[in-house]
Amino acid sequence: MQGKPSKLGRLSIQLGLGIFGFWTLAPIAWLVVSSLMQQQALTATPPDFSPSAFTFQNYVEVMNSAAALGRGLANSLIVAVSTTAVALAVGAPAAYALARFQLPGSGPILLMILATQMFPGIVVAIPMFIVMSHLGLIDSRLGLVIVYLSFNLPIVIWILHGFFLAIPVGLERAAAVDGATTLQIFRLIVLPISWPPIFATAIFAFIESWNEFFFALILTRQNAQTVPLVISQFAGQYQTVFGQMMAAATMAVTPVVVIAIIFRQSIMKGFTEGMIKS
Amino acid sequence: MAKVELAAVYKRFGTLEICSNINLVVADKEFVTLLGSSGCGKTTILNMIAGLEDVSAGEIRMEGRVVNNLTPFERDVAMVFQNYALYPHMTVAENIGFTLRLRRISRAEIEKRVGTIAGLLELTPLLGRLPSQLSGGQQQRVAIGRAMVREPKTFLFDEPFSNLDAALRVRMRSEIKLLHQRLGVTSIFVTHDQEEALSISDRVAVVNEGRVEQVGTPEEIYVRPVSRYVARFIGSPQIDLLDGAIVEESGGTGFRVGHVLFALPQPLVHALRTQGALEMGVRPENVLIADQGTAANVRVVNPVGPASFVTLAWEGGLITARVPGMSRLKAGEAVQFNVDPQHLMFFDKASGRRIEVPAGL
Repeated sequence: MQGKPSKLGRLSIQLGLGIFGFWTLAPIAWLVVSSLMQQQALTATPPDFSPSAFTFQNYVEVMNSAAALGRGLANSLIVAVSTTAVALAVGAPAAYALARFQLPGSGPILLMILATQMFPGIVVAIPMFIVMSHLGLIDSRLGLVIVYLSFNLPIVIWILHGFFLAIPVGLERAAAVDGATTLQIFRLIVLPISWPPIFATAIFAFIESWNEFFFALILTRQNAQTVPLVISQFAGQYQTVFGQMMAAATMAVTPVVVIAIIFRQSIMKGFTEGMIKS
Repeated sequence: MAKVELAAVYKRFGTLEICSNINLVVADKEFVTLLGSSGCGKTTILNMIAGLEDVSAGEIRMEGRVVNNLTPFERDVAMVFQNYALYPHMTVAENIGFTLRLRRISRAEIEKRVGTIAGLLELTPLLGRLPSQLSGGQQQRVAIGRAMVREPKTFLFDEPFSNLDAALRVRMRSEIKLLHQRLGVTSIFVTHDQEEALSISDRVAVVNEGRVEQVGTPEEIYVRPVSRYVARFIGSPQIDLLDGAIVEESGGTGFRVGHVLFALPQPLVHALRTQGALEMGVRPENVLIADQGTAANVRVVNPVGPASFVTLAWEGGLITARVPGMSRLKAGEAVQFNVDPQHLMFFDKASGRRIEVPAGL
């Protein structure tokens, strides 16, 4: 056990955390503040922070173009939920199989799964576009789900694989002696005790899909546009409507932030549990 | 009830042989312990009997039927694991009833059977608790209850007491023994604790480096170990092994260690003199501190209540004597000792096998 840090140590930890907190939160605070400011006040040098510069007009304007934002939100929700659901439904059993069964080539399989994370999206963007257009999946939510799965599924498998490895094998052996089949062991023993990491992984996959911009830009036109794309359209050719863009962005990130705040303890527990379990 | 047989069973992981030529017959209703140091392969043997590990070669039979390819459930065995392996998300009642739930037994029947077992193991007030809310001893009883509720043909125990404190461990030994007497179910128990093995078992199988070194009753194992390994493994403190040779000379006949001659009866000397280099094994209870004998100095006195173990330094090294009660001997004190020639053991120095001396010598 390490002793308690000294007063100076504690102070420097607090200072470090303070700087980190400011670094992380300042853009978000600026996002919210600027979403409440008039365009002139925002673009003035220096920005005009007088009370009269603040307005809810940006939100009203965004609401007026609700069709685009509403469609974007619906698309994002459908794509993110579907991606998350499929990634977990496929990834969890795959991770369990890789963790527990002595499969031929499971080492190389894991390495390949990791390798998919090692190159930037731009590398596969053009081949992905060609494949999707041949399949007739350009500007479709299904196309986006398939593409998002290609990077979410490996992450899900990797995170859960580590956790499943940490589950004491005795539990599964006990269940086998009790008469459970492999599927029953997975369903009745492994899944219920893995709820925190599965939940944390689900949130992670959801946020990844919700925030994704690059592939959505390439693979969608109008119908399947997700929220990040809708927001970007507030930047026009001749003028960028900053206030409205920020208002739309605030509305888009709010669900994710709320989810993260509500479930922060489960998320923390999920990601740390696998590390300490013996 | 079941007879369990292992016939020429091997377990290999790649080129590594974990268990070699295991032959063991556990009779119906018998309580047999697999005893060995950690890593000797005893748990692997148990896992193979349970059906949790495949057998590389050989046969495992239950009631005469080869079960090599049957699942643990089909073998009708129940197992208590070293870390109890209780399902952490289920209550005590759900843990015990899990196996019945898998067999689609009605809820009322499950409740009834779980209730009976809980009553037997004094778990009734704990039925609604989660494993994390139980003490080690209570978790242990739940694990036993989970095994019992099945009414299996064979019980398998994998070091079930190793996580308990000393007092509870001794109490649980008696409880398991009582349970076995009451239920009469064939039981195979794994432990590295020789005292536990001797106190609980009908017979003990000593496992060493993946082989069964000796199978016998606790008395046979203690009094007539087949090898130096078994002799050293059984008994606490360990048996002392003295390096020397059989001599027949004008000064007397016996076993000479350095300048010291331990006198032995003539027929015993006759029986041993054709053997090669020997080691003489003496257990602490057969070392007698006396008025006359070999000179020694008291090195350490370890009182354990009903007796004290006194380590003596003498010409041949160190030797431990068991004296009754709390010894008043002090470190550094000069004493003399003899060994009881009736209870000596002799081992072939090269092979480590005990030399069987004809009865009555």
